[in-house]
This record gives sequence, C-alpha cells and structure tokens, in this order.
Amino acid sequence: MFDLALALSYSLALVWLVGGCAYRVGIWLKARNSLPIPLTPAPRTRSGVVMRLCLELFAFRSLARADKTTWLASLLFHYGLLWLAIVHLRFVFTSLPTFLIPFIQYSGWATLCVIVGLSVLLLRRLLVDRVRYVSAPSDYLHLMLLISIAVSGALLKRVWPVNLFEVGEFLRGVFRVSWVPLPDHAGLVVHLLLVLVLLLVFPISKLLHGVGVIVSPTFNQRDRG
Amino acid sequence: MKESSVPAAQVVGRYRVIPIIQEQAMANISTAKATPAIQHEVGLPGALVADWHDKAISRLGTLLKERRGLQVFMDSCTKCGACTDKCHYFLGTGDPLNMPVARQDLLRSVYRRHFTFAGKWFPKLVGARELDKPMLEDWYRYFHQCSECRRCTVFCPKGIDTSEVTMAGRDILASIGIGQQYSQEIIAKVNRVGNNLGMKKPALIDVLDNLAEDISDDTGLAIRIPLDDASADMLIVTPSADFFAEPHVDGLIGMIKVLHVAGIRYTFSSQASEAANFALFTGQRDQMQGIAQRISTAAQALGVSRIVMGECGHAWRVAYSFMDTLVGGFDYLDPEHPRPEHICELTYELLKAGRIQLDPTRNDGKVVTFHDSCNVARGSGMGGIRRGQFIVPRALLKASVPEIIEMSSDATMQKTFCCGGGGGLLTDDLMELRIKGALPRAQALQAVVDSHGVTHLVAICAICKTQLSQVLPHHNLGDVQVTSLHELVGNAIIL
Repeated sequence: MFDLALALSYSLALVWLVGGCAYRVGIWLKARNSLPIPLTPAPRTRSGVVMRLCLELFAFRSLARADKTTWLASLLFHYGLLWLAIVHLRFVFTSLPTFLIPFIQYSGWATLCVIVGLSVLLLRRLLVDRVRYVSAPSDYLHLMLLISIAVSGALLKRVWPVNLFEVGEFLRGVFRVSWVPLPDHAGLVVHLLLVLVLLLVFPISKLLHGVGVIVSPTFNQRDRG
Repeated sequence: MKESSVPAAQVVGRYRVIPIIQEQAMANISTAKATPAIQHEVGLPGALVADWHDKAISRLGTLLKERRGLQVFMDSCTKCGACTDKCHYFLGTGDPLNMPVARQDLLRSVYRRHFTFAGKWFPKLVGARELDKPMLEDWYRYFHQCSECRRCTVFCPKGIDTSEVTMAGRDILASIGIGQQYSQEIIAKVNRVGNNLGMKKPALIDVLDNLAEDISDDTGLAIRIPLDDASADMLIVTPSADFFAEPHVDGLIGMIKVLHVAGIRYTFSSQASEAANFALFTGQRDQMQGIAQRISTAAQALGVSRIVMGECGHAWRVAYSFMDTLVGGFDYLDPEHPRPEHICELTYELLKAGRIQLDPTRNDGKVVTFHDSCNVARGSGMGGIRRGQFIVPRALLKASVPEIIEMSSDATMQKTFCCGGGGGLLTDDLMELRIKGALPRAQALQAVVDSHGVTHLVAICAICKTQLSQVLPHHNLGDVQVTSLHELVGNAIIL
C-alpha cells in the first residue's frame, strides 16, 4: 500500500514539477520586455549572447568575479549533481548502457563534490554575517535537503546496499504509471521521500534560478547601438 | 551631518575592507518627501492615499507584468551573497539594508507574500512579509539609498539588476503619494520650462551669449553659440548644469571649441535645454517618455540631421538604450548617424578624421585618472565598438594629456564604483550618504594619488562632477581637481 502511494506520489510529483516549472517560466515570458536593459558591455550579436549565456550557465562567470570560494563550491555542487543525475539514468534502462559505466565508476567522487560544495555553501550562509542576514529558513532548508539526499544516496551505495534492478523496476513503473513494488529497504524509502520533497519544492522556489539566468534581460539582450 | 562618522579611507593592498554589518546604521537618513504641490504637478496623489496598501500591491502587479526583468529578478535570487560586498553604499555605511540583495528583499518579501504560493502559505519559512507602515518607511529610505548604478549586477550570477527593483519601488511609492521631492521637483521643472534648473529662454540666451563672449576674449576667435537655429545640422543637448556649474562649464567651453574648430553648424534648443531625464531614476516610464520626447520633437522642429548628447551619464543611457523604444525611430536623422550620439563619439570621429588637432603638451603638469560613470559603463555603449564606452573617452584623454594613470581594475570600467550621488540622490539632505557612498571611489583615487601623484579626476557625467567635487574634500582628496573630459580636450585643441 505504501509502495503504491509512493509510486503515485512520484507520478504526480513529476507532473507537478514539469507543470510548475512551465507555469513559472510562462509567467516570466508573458511579462513584457518594455525597455532593453542589457548589462553592458554586452555582446553585439546573437551568437555573442549565446556565448554569454553559456559562460554564465556553465562557468558561473559573474560569480567567479564576485567570490572565488562561493564560485568553486557552487561549481563542485552543480557539476557533482549533474554527474549524479546522469548516473541515475541507469534506472531508466533495464540493462546497463556502456556510456554510463565511467559515470558510475566515479560517482563516489561526484557525491563527495556535492557534499563538500553544499557544506561550504551552508557554512558560508551560517558564518558570513552578510549572508546570514539575508537568509530565510528556506535558504538553509534547501541546502540541508540537498545534503541529506546526497548523504542518504551515498549510504545506499556504500553502507547499506540496495538491489538496484528492483529500484529501477519501481522507477520505470512510475514513468509508465504502473505499480511495481519497492525493495523492502528503509534507507531507500528515506532517500526517495527526500527526493520527492525536492521535486515538490523545485518549481515554487528559488531552485528554478538556472532558467532565470537564461530569461534575465540583462544577460540575454544584445547591445543594439 | 556628523563628520566624525565618515570612515577614513583604508586601503589594504588592492583589497577593500568589507565592513561588519551594522543594523540601522543609516536608518536615520531619509530624503525629503515631495510636497503635495509637486506631486500634483507630476500627476501623482499629493499625500499617502487611504487605500495605499492595495494600491501598492496592485501597482506592483502591474509592474511585474510590464517589466520582465523585475518579474524574473523577484524569483531567481538564491541569496548566494555574491552582491553583498559590492555596493558602494554598503561598503561606505555597513548598513545591511544597503546590501543589494537585502535592498531587493524589501520588495521581494512583499512580492512573495502576495504573488507566490510559498509566500502566501508559509510566509515565515520563505521570508515573506506584509507591506505595513514600517516596511513602507524602509522602502522609502533604502530605495533612496541606491544610485541604480548596477555594479552589483556585474557580480550577480543570475544577472539581477537592483536598479530595476529600486525603480519599481520608487514608482510604487510615488504612485501612492510618497514621491521624492528632489527628483519629482526636477521632473516638474523640466516639463514646465525645459530644463532641470528651470531656466527660461531669455536666461538661456544670456548665459550662452556671456559664454560666447568669454570664449572669444580667451581665444580671439569670433564665437557665437546658436540657440534654436533652424539652419543648424546638429542639435546639442547637454545637462543644464553645464551652463552654470563648476567644473561643468569648462567642459561645455571645450565642446564649443571642438564644434567651432570642426566648422559644424550646431545649435542648442530652448525646448530641449536639458539632457538629464530624472524619470529614469524615479522609474516613471510615462514621464521618462515625455522627457525624451522633448528632445526628439525639438530635433524635428529644428530640422537637424544629428543629435549629440553632452557629458551626462544617465542621459546617455536613455539616449543610447531607451530613446528609440520610448519615442519611435529616428528616420529624420542622417542615415550615417541614425541614433543620438555622444559628444565623445563626435570628438573622437573628428580627431580621427583630422578635423581637429590636439596637443597634449598644453595639459603639461596634469596627471589624470578617469572615473567611468556607471550609466555609461554598464548601461550603454559608445562608438559602435565593443567596450567603446571605455575605449573612446580614454583615446580622447590620451590625445589631450601627457599622462594617464588607471585606478585599480576593480574600480574602473565595468566594475567602476558609482560617484555616490547618482540615481536622484544628488541632494543636500542625503549629504551624509553621499560622502559615505563615495568611500570606495575615494580609496581607489587615494591609491593613485599616493603612487603616481594624480592631480585630476576626469569624468563625463554632470552628476559625477558635482558629487565628486563636493565630497572628495571630506575624504582628504580636496586637492584633486574634478574635471570634464572636454575641458582637457578644449585646452589641448589647436585653434
């Protein structure tokens, strides 16, 4: 019964995630772009704008200008998370595709990057008076949620192993909206519930900031002079 | 004003000291609110309206739909803290509400309360707040402690532009009856008379005639400064401070020398005798449109084919970035010069074409450094080339003076520090804020005074010039001459 509820929650959460993100981005795009406000010097060509957005999205260029510690911690966290997201693609396939093998091989390092990166961000939030001043409870909770997901995942992998094929069956069931029982494993349930919370919070929180980078007129408009 | 509260300039290597936050440090600083008469003149309610809360929220809702930037910026901040030590007003005051993110949060917390799911249901959790009277006062105080210089945007990984938030905040405040006296009075005057100083046409004729006489006496040339001359090819629009204020007027003289030597048929306009557009500062788009329209209307009435803007930072941002959107295209202009140009672009073009010659030895003994103005550096371009807003003025300086020294790279070009008086804050009742806000600029300047004996700080913005010449003495930098770029060009030009 619990398995079914969890599977159903996941199915609904995925709908909520996609719908919620689309709704929010829709609100952004529906707002009029009344006056051009590119941050200059701005690229003069469209390809220049794409370049600028790529530098911001993939290298966090502005953050690098601002503060090297935060920049490094953010890079570690985001790229570690991307790596782990790719590793989790294994659950989409019934047999393991070869391209995933190197990702899986180094997933321990990726987890370490995520945990170290997030911990630095959390410590910064706690210890730097300026950042502490602007932090709401949700800002700490986001970080702690992500850390718990990473730690619980690492435990599943290294300390308290779980049958990965059965996890895959359950998750593939979620996508097909057909119920497959979950392996009997409390740690797995904790990990899955934490991820469920993340999926629910994502579209209604600041976690959508990546798309915000692309939609920000200061970045995506060109210098037309 | 407490002189003792001004922090001494401290430079540790090239790193500035980041202050420990001091809550309420600037809570007693608030600029005068507009009188009912001025509010009415600019079409706003004279005093706080009865249903101010609902009106404010509804105005915010409108602005969110009209300004995509504002809407995205409300949602995309992660409170990463990258901006927290980048604002000159925070560096100078230590007041945490002068950190860009905290300033935005004044509006964002209310936005969350009224426009987001999380803020409606879990306000405490996400830092959502109701708009109450104390919050309203914080809005008024701290949205008038931001010069809208966009330095924080340079460091924001989400590209959040605090100036858009400040403008929205000020727009909402003005719309419910709490405008700022200084800016709204200037907007009223420019609408009423044509310039910020309220100088009518006869006075303007007087000023220009006297100026022409002075230049003629000085140079032996027969100088005439045309006003409303329909035979002219080029309309010159300068900030009205150029007609009176020091050191601005010497820059105007330099411009006139350039135009005279190049043999350009130019004119000033009594209708558009002001480059400045304070509605940019107050966020009132309708007023900004009207003030910009004056220039376009005057240009068409005079039948000129070129519009050239004088040394004014925010006027240049409006002319360069906004004017075609605000007042339609420029079909009436020369297709070779299809948009308003900056006087530096014109002078640079004349220099390259050999139509003027500059002799830097005429500025012998001066060691100059260049203060990039925020609206030029981060809100516009110049010369049709990438980074032109940094290249063009420096090229003119290089041709005009023997020695240029650059200040630290985290205080120039795109990362330039605001003078501390921009964005509608150049008023006496904010003098303490202006002095403190100039601290990072003063530190950067002090370093080049110490290392290279810099004697002149050059600017191309009327606000920067007024502000810096008033506040630098408070930072023991009174010996540094604040100078118009075109004053140095005017000295160097071969007549």
